[in-house]
Amino acid sequence: MSGTHSDADTDEANGASADANGATDGDADALHAEDLALGYPSTDEPVVETDRVDVPAGEVTALVGPNGSGKSTLLKAMAKQLDPDAGRVVLDGENVANYGTKEFAREVGLLSQENDAPGSATVEDLVYHGRYPHRSFFGAVTGADDAAVDRAIDLAGIDHLRDAPVSDLSGGQKQLAWIAMTLAQDTDVLLLDEPTTYLDLHHQLRVMEVVRELNEEADVTVAVVLHDIAQAARFADNIIAMRDGEVYDWGPPRTVVTEALLADVFDVVASVDADAPDGPTVHPHHPVR
Amino acid sequence: MSESPSEASGSSSDASGGPRASPDATAPTDPAGGSGTAARDRLASLTARIDGTLASVVFASLAVVGVGGLIQVSFGTYSMTVFEAWRAVVDPAVWSHPGLLGEFFLGETLGGLLAAQFGWATEVELAHPTLIVWTVRLPRVLVAVLVGANLAISGAIFQAVTRNELASPYILGVSSGAGLAILLTLVVFSGMSAFLPIFAALGGTVAFLIVYAIAWKGGTSPVRLVLAGVIVGTVFQSLQTGLFFFADDLGVVQSAIAWTTGSLTGTDWEQVRLALPWTVIALGFALAGSRQLNVLLLGERTARSLGMSVERVRFALSGVAILAAAAAIAVAGIVGFVGLIVPHVVRTLVGSDYRRLVVGCAFVGPALLVGADVGARLAMDPVQIPVGIVTGLVGGPYFLYLMRRQDDLGDL
Repeated sequence: MSGTHSDADTDEANGASADANGATDGDADALHAEDLALGYPSTDEPVVETDRVDVPAGEVTALVGPNGSGKSTLLKAMAKQLDPDAGRVVLDGENVANYGTKEFAREVGLLSQENDAPGSATVEDLVYHGRYPHRSFFGAVTGADDAAVDRAIDLAGIDHLRDAPVSDLSGGQKQLAWIAMTLAQDTDVLLLDEPTTYLDLHHQLRVMEVVRELNEEADVTVAVVLHDIAQAARFADNIIAMRDGEVYDWGPPRTVVTEALLADVFDVVASVDADAPDGPTVHPHHPVR
Repeated sequence: MSESPSEASGSSSDASGGPRASPDATAPTDPAGGSGTAARDRLASLTARIDGTLASVVFASLAVVGVGGLIQVSFGTYSMTVFEAWRAVVDPAVWSHPGLLGEFFLGETLGGLLAAQFGWATEVELAHPTLIVWTVRLPRVLVAVLVGANLAISGAIFQAVTRNELASPYILGVSSGAGLAILLTLVVFSGMSAFLPIFAALGGTVAFLIVYAIAWKGGTSPVRLVLAGVIVGTVFQSLQTGLFFFADDLGVVQSAIAWTTGSLTGTDWEQVRLALPWTVIALGFALAGSRQLNVLLLGERTARSLGMSVERVRFALSGVAILAAAAAIAVAGIVGFVGLIVPHVVRTLVGSDYRRLVVGCAFVGPALLVGADVGARLAMDPVQIPVGIVTGLVGGPYFLYLMRRQDDLGDL
């Protein structure tokens, strides 16, 4: 599918995918962005400008780049949390601007970088909030809600924490609880903004394993902002490397993660073992000076 | 009247607490079967335990309202014992005549119409204590109940909407708007003082709308709302204080002080009838919106990513809170501290889940205000002080205690 097609094509594609409703496996991408220009009210110049960004269906895509490269901003736009100044984000052939907020939240889940733990709420209370887009204003909890919450808690591996107040958990456990909430949304696409930053190694791996499992078993499309390029190289099917608000390179880790990329994008002199069994391994040596 | 339905609903909530408590007792002995059913059992036992706390909060509040109300109706120029007061409250001569109750709660026009429709008698010979209790003293207790419930619920909503523990019903300019309207009515447009309650409520609402308009810039945020509230509040407060200079007689000043600090002196069935429908509506919306309030507490970003139309929900919930505050202001003026303190008290008792918090506020608010009004009316007898002064005197020290005890005052 090319980046430019007529409106009629788009509408047809949209109708077809709406009928299939969720069976997006055949499509090349679940979510893509076209000619985006993204900025904030406080900035004159756009923070992010990209031609086309693809998040392929049924795969894990990692957005990497140094601080301020615009990866979180791009994720926000894809999550319909930030209206683009120009261009558009397309979900299943339909501009995300045309989705209702609840309708979109049934298709795409987003876990933000920082989350506030509410007072005395338990993990289970929190995960039930993930059912918000599936419930009407006065709607009671249904069997489907219970099942989705059980499944999400099970997937995140926090059954033993079910009745614990969220505020009593460790940082890693909290993150797993928030991920469970997002999983309870039961979406086909999941966007995660730096879910492993600030976590200890054990919980970093737990989080990435949950993501991988969700992708493999439930065929959920994942886009995840990662701070750690080595982690991205290991867990992702695709990597989008960003620099100064633009996409520097895009593709599978073995082709994207190179010594040149680490020097150009991350300002780091490193050697890359591209043939390692778990994906390319990065050995950083010293900053570029 | 306040006592007997109170007692009735108290015992019924107690009774419903009983059977709900029993699965709590049996759940642990249940062999843990499938993980799903085990989880459901755990959930059921948890719910039962928490509802047990809520039930005791409700019951204790009803007891305070009952005792406070009885003291309130037994004292006065015509003194009677608490037992006599109780007999007057439950006097079958009143309770067996729906026509009479209709006239009290719905007014002579509507109640009389209803009585005529069903052929109920409205002219009933009442014993002297019954007459005094029902026509003079009981309405004041009922108004205290309504005002307390409204302020507590309004404060609870504003604390979630602004995500600010210091939020009260008056955080978004409501008190200063109402205060200015009160002063304008008393000093400048004194011919229209009959409409004072309505003007006070309107003034508060208008101030709230101004605050919202100022804070709006392609959307609002809790911080912008609170800042705009403080600024509008300061301006209106200055205007209000300025108007005091133009009040030329002491009566007007005293009346203005009574209104701006909150007073239940001289409240009558008319005030009950004025506040009751709005209280019921506000309470209903607050209960219905409690899940929205819970999601709002997760933070704006999370709420939005869960598909909430945050701006719309925030404005709607603020509207409910303003409705409740306006109903309270219209009958009692600006009673301070109740809306700030009660949500905190209830939160420490039943947790931050708004589904329980709103229910708790609807009972603890009345308890505080009925209790404070006993002090306001009887502490310096025969002089009656505005109830707002008592709530401030009780509330100030409590707030200091809260600050001392809690390290994380910013957490909701």
